[in-house]
Amino acid sequence: MTTQNAQLEQAEETVDILVIGAGASGGAATAWLAEAGFKVKCLEQGYWQDPSKYASASKDYEFEMLTNWSPDPNKRQLDEDYPVNDKNSPVTPVMFNGVGGSTILWTAHTPRFHPSDFRVKTLDGVADDWPITYDELEEFYDLNDEVMGCSGINGDPANPPRSPRQMPPLPLGKDGRKLISGFEKLGWHWWPSDSYVNSQRYGEGRDACNFCGHNHMGCYQRAKSSTDLTYWPRALRSGATIETGARVRRVTTDEQGRATGADYIDSKGKEQHQSARAVIMAANGIGTPRLMLNSKSDAHPDGLANTSGLVGKNLMFHPFAMISGVFPEKLDSWQGPLGNIGLSQEFYETDKSRGFVRGYTYQFQRSLGPAWIAKGGFRDPIPWGDGHHEELEKRLGSVMGMAVIGEDLPEEHNTVDLDPELTDSDGIPAPRLNYTLSKNSRDQLDHAIENAKKVLEAAGADDIHVDPMMRQSGWHLMGTARMGDDPEKSVVDKWGQAHDVDNLFIVDGSVFVTGAAVNPTPTIQALALRTADYIVSNRQDLKG
Amino acid sequence: MTTNTSNINIDKNLLAAILDRLIPAVDDLPSAGQMELTGEIVRLSGQQARFQKIFVNAMEAFATANPDFASLTGAEQDDATRAFESDSPELFDSLLTISYIVYYKDERVHKRIGWSGRTPQPDGNEMEPWDESVLENMRKRKPFWRTV
Repeated sequence: MTTQNAQLEQAEETVDILVIGAGASGGAATAWLAEAGFKVKCLEQGYWQDPSKYASASKDYEFEMLTNWSPDPNKRQLDEDYPVNDKNSPVTPVMFNGVGGSTILWTAHTPRFHPSDFRVKTLDGVADDWPITYDELEEFYDLNDEVMGCSGINGDPANPPRSPRQMPPLPLGKDGRKLISGFEKLGWHWWPSDSYVNSQRYGEGRDACNFCGHNHMGCYQRAKSSTDLTYWPRALRSGATIETGARVRRVTTDEQGRATGADYIDSKGKEQHQSARAVIMAANGIGTPRLMLNSKSDAHPDGLANTSGLVGKNLMFHPFAMISGVFPEKLDSWQGPLGNIGLSQEFYETDKSRGFVRGYTYQFQRSLGPAWIAKGGFRDPIPWGDGHHEELEKRLGSVMGMAVIGEDLPEEHNTVDLDPELTDSDGIPAPRLNYTLSKNSRDQLDHAIENAKKVLEAAGADDIHVDPMMRQSGWHLMGTARMGDDPEKSVVDKWGQAHDVDNLFIVDGSVFVTGAAVNPTPTIQALALRTADYIVSNRQDLKG
Repeated sequence: MTTNTSNINIDKNLLAAILDRLIPAVDDLPSAGQMELTGEIVRLSGQQARFQKIFVNAMEAFATANPDFASLTGAEQDDATRAFESDSPELFDSLLTISYIVYYKDERVHKRIGWSGRTPQPDGNEMEPWDESVLENMRKRKPFWRTV
């Protein structure tokens, strides 16, 4: 094993900051740093997307949704994807590789963490507290909302007051009103979602949503916020550069163990090296630990910045249960963004009388087109043969769902490591997931399932189906390079700076100490902006 | 990744017979096997190499397991299809998936089920204005988030 030096062809001159990954966090960090005068380059293994070519305008959209535009890289299998061994996980990974990253395929449902989410050890005696508070992050949540554009409304009694949203909420629609009638009858909390989906024109060349219902395949209207449309134009205007089709093989280090850049394979298959004064990892909660474990050297024999042994450990998902109902009336439930109606946090905060700690969010779900319904959608497929047509007619436009997002606490045995055999198309070892659902998480989901049934029944649904844990639900990848004050118990400090390497930063979901019970992207992006702000304020030494 | 469909050797008669069992006739529509969907199924399956491989394997496995499928009665064909579904769930799923997708993109089917048939974009659907009155009850509730 040797220290990697820049023996490969030097791609171009040394940059101040090399960012690996152009998704939610990479885009935010790059824009902030470039606007502050740093020379920033990003390596992204995927490519720019053309919204006018998204499959929602194709006659074959229902096929594309399951294949070339599947959120599961193992099903999509594009050249820029890497395989993930998920045989030891009941949850499969969901991600996208391209400029914008997984914000291309997300639903853009954007709640924030609660203040209690940063203090679970103090409040509930589980896991660990974060080294930061909600109050410290709030200004960066606000900054991110402004750039991404948030549709929503203040006054939610389940959350602290917020600054004014940029746009009014997306309307509930006929289907949304029907579902919330159940919450209203039970007297349970619900609130229109904060969404990074335009309810009116906002941002550069971005229209209002036109309720097509398929923005999870990429938004043709550019109404759904993704960082290729928000942060990246700003970053490029400020002088940042991005190289697409660039797959990083390893982060390189010098004899002292400091980051020196990265070796990568360019879009033509040529091995390259990019040198940098600092490196920011933004490759998501699977891709980042994979790359760090692939970056062993004499100075880092167990993987980059891994003296704690925690790189790749404490993998958290939000295991999803899905409870759906068929309503007797037609609700046109294919109209409108799939997951952006509203949420309920009635059972978010800990109540130990329930038999578990922490809690969960309900995210309300619409349904999609006829083939999706026939294949079951959130439910079992419609039977083939006799009875098929009657069941299809019953479900089409009448199915509504409630997704349960439970707080999955960190456990060291849930890991991302390197598969001993599986590689990507460039021969780089692929990640392997090892994950089991904890009893606390299972108890949360079971509690949520019973209450969801009550909501659906109160709303008038007459055929309720339960998926106790969706397999294709690994949207939220967290915890695999956690932050903390103690270098023995964490990989990065509260600024996202690696304890072991003072010019290595991590800004994706890997740094999460706990996962809360909400979609994580606004928190990921707020943390990325905070780390970038720290570099601007404290690391001018990284400027060439 | 799109693949070449011209070299696929699919028994379209067998595929049509399977389609007849999966999606029976209804109202004025014949069963799916009589709607000349097999060409579109073969074309569409070729839009992704991974899917096409599974689909081709499924057809080959079905043919091997049921060499006389066409000569069976309807009830016997249903039994044979259920046996394949039970024995080879992933392969059967590919057959069912492509069958449902192609059937439900057919204009004749759209007309019968009252589906517009428009692609989701570019026209989308009408978005009603936000109605503040829906929050009347929730506005009355006191904050209940946990302070720290």
